[in-house]
Amino acid sequence: MKKNVTFALISVSLASVVFAGCSGKDPVADPTASAPTDNFHATGFPIVEKPITLDIFNRQSNSNIPWDKMLVFREYEKMTNIKASFKNVPTAGFNEKRNLILNTKDLPDIFISANFTRLDAVKYGTSGMFIPLEGLIDQYAPNIKALFDQYPEIKQSLTAPDGHIYMLSDFVTLFSARTAKPWLNKKWLDELGLEVPKTTQELKNVLIAFRDQDPNRNGQKDEIPMSGENLGQIVSNINGAWGLENQMGNRINVQDDKVRYWPADDRYKQILQYLHELYKEKLLDNTLFTQQDTEYLTKTSEAKVGFFYKQATDTFSAVADQFIGIEPVAGPNGDRLHTQVQPIARSYGAFAITSANPYPAESIRWIDYFSGEEGSIFLRYGVEGQTFNYADGVPTYPDEVLKNEKGSAFAISQFAPWPGTAITHWINDKNSNAVNPPQVQEAAEKLEPYIPERILGAPLFDAATAKKVDTLLTDVNTYIDESSAKFVNGERSFDDWDNYVSTLNKMGLAEIEEIYQEAYDTTYKN
Amino acid sequence: MQDRSNKLMKRMLVRYELYLMLLLPLVWFIIFQYVPMYGVQIAFREFMPNLGFLGSPWVGFEHFERFFSSYYFERLLWNTLSISLFQTLVAFPIPIFLALLIHEIQNKRMRKLLQNVTYMPHFISIVVIVGMLNLFLSSETGFVNHVLSAVGIEPIAFMERADWFKTVLISSGVWQNMGWQSIIYIAALSGLDPQLYEAAKIDGASRWQRVMHVSVPGILPTIIILLILDIGHFMNVGFEKILLMQNELNMEASDVISTFIYRNGILKGDFSYSASIGLFNALINFILLIVINAYARRKTETSLW
Amino acid sequence: MKFERRTKIKDDQWFDIIVYAIATVILIMILYPLLFVVSASFSDPSKVIGGEMWLLPKGFTLDAYKEVFETKEVWTGYKNTIIYTVLGTLINITLTTLAAYPLSRKDLPGRSIFMFIIAFTMFFSGGLIPTYLLVQSLGMVDTIWSMMIPTAIATYNLIVMRTYFQTSIPWELQEAALMDGSSNTRLLVSIILPLSKPIIAVMVLFYAVGHWNAYFNALIYLNSEHLYPLQIILRNILITNQNALMEGDAFGLGERLLLAESIKYSLIIVASIPVLLIYPFVQRHFIKGVMIGSLKG
Repeated sequence: MKKNVTFALISVSLASVVFAGCSGKDPVADPTASAPTDNFHATGFPIVEKPITLDIFNRQSNSNIPWDKMLVFREYEKMTNIKASFKNVPTAGFNEKRNLILNTKDLPDIFISANFTRLDAVKYGTSGMFIPLEGLIDQYAPNIKALFDQYPEIKQSLTAPDGHIYMLSDFVTLFSARTAKPWLNKKWLDELGLEVPKTTQELKNVLIAFRDQDPNRNGQKDEIPMSGENLGQIVSNINGAWGLENQMGNRINVQDDKVRYWPADDRYKQILQYLHELYKEKLLDNTLFTQQDTEYLTKTSEAKVGFFYKQATDTFSAVADQFIGIEPVAGPNGDRLHTQVQPIARSYGAFAITSANPYPAESIRWIDYFSGEEGSIFLRYGVEGQTFNYADGVPTYPDEVLKNEKGSAFAISQFAPWPGTAITHWINDKNSNAVNPPQVQEAAEKLEPYIPERILGAPLFDAATAKKVDTLLTDVNTYIDESSAKFVNGERSFDDWDNYVSTLNKMGLAEIEEIYQEAYDTTYKN
Repeated sequence: MQDRSNKLMKRMLVRYELYLMLLLPLVWFIIFQYVPMYGVQIAFREFMPNLGFLGSPWVGFEHFERFFSSYYFERLLWNTLSISLFQTLVAFPIPIFLALLIHEIQNKRMRKLLQNVTYMPHFISIVVIVGMLNLFLSSETGFVNHVLSAVGIEPIAFMERADWFKTVLISSGVWQNMGWQSIIYIAALSGLDPQLYEAAKIDGASRWQRVMHVSVPGILPTIIILLILDIGHFMNVGFEKILLMQNELNMEASDVISTFIYRNGILKGDFSYSASIGLFNALINFILLIVINAYARRKTETSLW
Repeated sequence: MKFERRTKIKDDQWFDIIVYAIATVILIMILYPLLFVVSASFSDPSKVIGGEMWLLPKGFTLDAYKEVFETKEVWTGYKNTIIYTVLGTLINITLTTLAAYPLSRKDLPGRSIFMFIIAFTMFFSGGLIPTYLLVQSLGMVDTIWSMMIPTAIATYNLIVMRTYFQTSIPWELQEAALMDGSSNTRLLVSIILPLSKPIIAVMVLFYAVGHWNAYFNALIYLNSEHLYPLQIILRNILITNQNALMEGDAFGLGERLLLAESIKYSLIIVASIPVLLIYPFVQRHFIKGVMIGSLKG
């Protein structure tokens, strides 16, 4: 009897609040409905006659100061008459906070650098919370439009299956900024009188020499011949030697319009076997699976590692002159590709306009400037004479920024937002000398002949498919990563490979391939 | 019948002050705990913010089915249960033992020192704890393996081995929290009537006997209540530390329901999915609690309600 | 109970030896990692990461502390955390006592129902979104109240406190006071509370430390930097997106990771000193204990 009373009490209080929580439907916003007013200028600066304010939900990276305090945005407000009211949400816990804001409909006008995935874009976009941008871009964003025209794959990879563009990315036409490079310790190599390796076998021999012959001449066997951030990072870089690519943001090869998902491929087995040999002989860092990012970074920054992959030299700048970028190594079957390349539309989800935004046209003009030549330099460098100068026609940060004792990203972040964030703008060979010093550019040029003809970005699926892929990949990726690690460290024997393959098949390998094939056919097939 | 309810009314009226005291806390519970409970329904809906709680499509048990049919469901369940059980068997009694030990130390300085020192690790952030585990247990440079090899044992790559994961997780948890968790028992011990000890002493009880016959029974109600609460959280294994300790090689033992929710629900903003797994956990917890509470009430006369 | 006297003395000696032996082992086991943290905070970070430092500081430096003290946000965070902790704990203790005492009374009609209503909330809750909407509709988002009111009562603590009232304060004592004509309020204020110092001390400690370490509510309810508590600042420094190394926009992440590595030990020391300092005050109330026996006599 007592229990019944309690339950009745609870259900009463529940019932009374269910209605309190009910909220009415919002009409799905139509961007063309809110036509810009007289206050708006379609070209030139200022963007608006009388000042307006945009609420911007932005991720503040660990090195950034609050964005509204940055010189770039203070100046930009004067130029545009648009006040950007930044939320400056810190990186730690950012996703949790963003998800909550989205789900309580406490929407800002704009999201910048908000870590959105393609799944988010489709989910919230098709439900009307983000407005389609393609029309606005056509009308008011000449810079972005020019990039779309010049590089058709950008628009392809940003367009959802329903034909809308809900989010923008960064636009990285600088090849070097889209790929990791193989760095080899040239000092060790010269000390031992060895040649730059050209095949996986030669690479192995060099690593053996690094291990045994004390190339740093300190009398101790403290050299780490090869290391990496994690197994996946190493595989995605070295897989070109076995002809495997990283298309559509996944473990995928595309040949003659056929999509092939390769984790069960025999060539993948060969890669793991090769890495297993390296691991067993302690050529590959044996702490690979447990080391933390900082440990790895420290090892490379102190030149304790002979061979590793990294995009630029920023984390080992003090010893960078000991290293050279090399050409990719050729595999046993003669394949020689470098496929760890991101698409031009890098960092998807960098910019979105919400349905709560009363100024869509103003907003798109506000962001578009940064995708032009002048605007991209402004966003990255600030004001000439104050935060940068031209040297040989190329914008260059002063030495107190580049050689700042707290790091160059920290120094840049005092006036410009880009380090550690993704804000839609154009990154090209003329505005990137901080991330792309000559040494890095040289390394990139060595790779260029070996990259596949087309680099396809991850596709956008429709909402139902996106969810299905996500559910499938969650389990499959866990299984692949876990099994691969065990194959490499020897816990699992390669005799068990058939088992691995049949489990993958059971988990839906064919289905994944099919879904990606379909996405390829609709998005990329000409 | 009439008479009985009159009596009840009278008993309640006499104690009106007690109800007044309860008023403010109860209002708080209703506003901050019961009012938001309408949110539970999103576990059965495909929640879309623009459609609201009542407008989002009803999907019934779809999210539950998705979770149960995950390839890893059994593994997640097993790891969660075994870690919890291990924790209840090992990590729960140790603070009790520590409190009794501290209580028995005669030297005031030593007692204070031990209390203070065991209390401190609670404040070290988990990020640092896991960092230290990596350093101490490293198979190449870690001091634990130096010690092991000094006594002739082969180095063990603790952090890479699935079979060591639970031991490392729980023993480091004990190390970090035993002092903190013993505080409650120390407080309960200090609330015991000193006359009881005197009487036992006069009866000629040894120190050990006094512990067993005075201290332990004295804090038993506290132990039982905390055990009930502990079991009521059986399915909730803290995820932050596990997440930081996880790697591809120990995943087999380290993937638990809470890390799974974190990866697939919270990070992806899938509130419906997180809510349904959360509800599944809560249901099991609640059933366990009701069972253990009923059992405790019958056997020990100590219970939650 | 009958015990042999001679064996007892011998037993007691052994007992003492064992107690001290175990205590010493525990001390060493816990002291070592603590010392490690302290030494690491004074050491060259690369020596720590490389596993070269194992007991005493290696490559002694005060850089980490300099860096911490130069970070302005740490001080604002400190100030805010102290405010939230003091005010929040006050609210916690008041509300928890008000609930725990009546619920400890065996003679309160409806006690089980109330307990069930309260215990039920430990398992079922509406979740993040409705709670946020509620706090929002109460106008508490981005105010200091969002740090205290939604967490005004911890059910776990309430139950612990109730258990103490039930078991450590003899019912006969309360009955006698009521017989003498004391009101229930008076009973609580002048008899129960003075006898409950150990549990109040524990509650202060639990709640205060809870506020001190809280970050999630701050993360979701606060938007203004000047309101951020210390833990948010700490997390921003210590926790960087672990997978971000592979992303394209990771420029500068490496340097932040290394900075975080170099100051994490000193940050923890600086951030925990105040809570370490309050413990001895709390402890004092355990050692005195409560002389219930003397009251009775």
